[in-house]
Amino acid sequence: MGKILAVHSYKGGTGKTLLAINLSASFAKQGKKVCLFDLDFRAPSLATLLKVGKAEHWLNDYLNGACEIDKVLIDLSERINNKGHLYVGLANPATEAIRDMSAKDRKWEMRALGRLLALRNSLLNDKTFDYVIFDTSPGLQYSSINAIVAADVVVVATTFDRSDVDGTQRMLRELYDLFEKKTEVVLNKVLDASRTGKEELQALVKDIYQAPLLSVIPCFCDVLKAEGGIIFAAEKPDHPFTRILDEMTNKINQM
Amino acid sequence: MANQELVGKKPLQVLEKIRENLEKLNEKMEVMIELQKHNRKDIPQLPTDTPLDVMTLLSMPDHLRKTAMAVCRLGRATADEIAQQTHRARAVESAYLNQLVMMGYTKKERKGRRAYFYVERESQER
Repeated sequence: MGKILAVHSYKGGTGKTLLAINLSASFAKQGKKVCLFDLDFRAPSLATLLKVGKAEHWLNDYLNGACEIDKVLIDLSERINNKGHLYVGLANPATEAIRDMSAKDRKWEMRALGRLLALRNSLLNDKTFDYVIFDTSPGLQYSSINAIVAADVVVVATTFDRSDVDGTQRMLRELYDLFEKKTEVVLNKVLDASRTGKEELQALVKDIYQAPLLSVIPCFCDVLKAEGGIIFAAEKPDHPFTRILDEMTNKINQM
Repeated sequence: MANQELVGKKPLQVLEKIRENLEKLNEKMEVMIELQKHNRKDIPQLPTDTPLDVMTLLSMPDHLRKTAMAVCRLGRATADEIAQQTHRARAVESAYLNQLVMMGYTKKERKGRRAYFYVERESQER
């Protein structure tokens, strides 16, 4: 049976979306059937980054109970040059939709949680997806916590920024642990990554977070220069960033 | 049980009624035992349709959160099914589930001998 991953972080700008897109592409490249969802309803970005124009149905509609999940899925498999399948479900980036999602009450959030939990049956069991990946908004947003509760594994993107380290420590203790979630830390945008040994970084992460380290991603100028316009895992198979992503997806496959 | 109720009923029906009442009594005792364990004299009575959202889940004591999350995952389940998920005893889960019902977070419905617990999400399909 497939897995649901939630890519989350304490602060914004840690590279969640880039990570979620490229993890999805890396899995699809391996021949897996993957679905990537944009659960960052306050600042949707997948529609722009994946250059998908206007969707007929948004993830907002599914969570509102206005349509089934099939209507939301957009097939982007042609972007992956092999037998894998990549689908996306987008958050509506219109200002009105963002405002609408920000004003939802607790009852709506409870129903949204039910609808996210139902994806396990509809996508993993019925449609035999190997991976469902949630790209979330940072911090303690309702939509993000719903995604965490519905996920099997939480991939926590973090940097060495002091406030990020502090907040991530708190989230590990006071959020993921309370929901008994398996967490994997990804240290992103690491400067001098080659100078610090892998084992040293692993020990450091274990010491700081008491959580397993999935990967260390150095700060790549190429990735920054691309401004989100390139799916490295699909378009730059030999780039070191892609190699790191492929190692990560191999590790996740073995979990 | 009132004696009048038993008059004219077959022994099997009488026994079934006694069993049902014993089960109800057992559930109430389980709740009381659990309340004593957690040093609580009473359960806050909330409105009957208190939403079981993630923030509520976060604010719950660990033992109840585990049960509530299993109900969320399964949608609708018996104490036995919840116990299989949480790896705790059925009687313990039964007590926690009944606490959640009393707190207004979950609903309970009897179908014959079985009691089902669920989270009410009006417009959501089952």
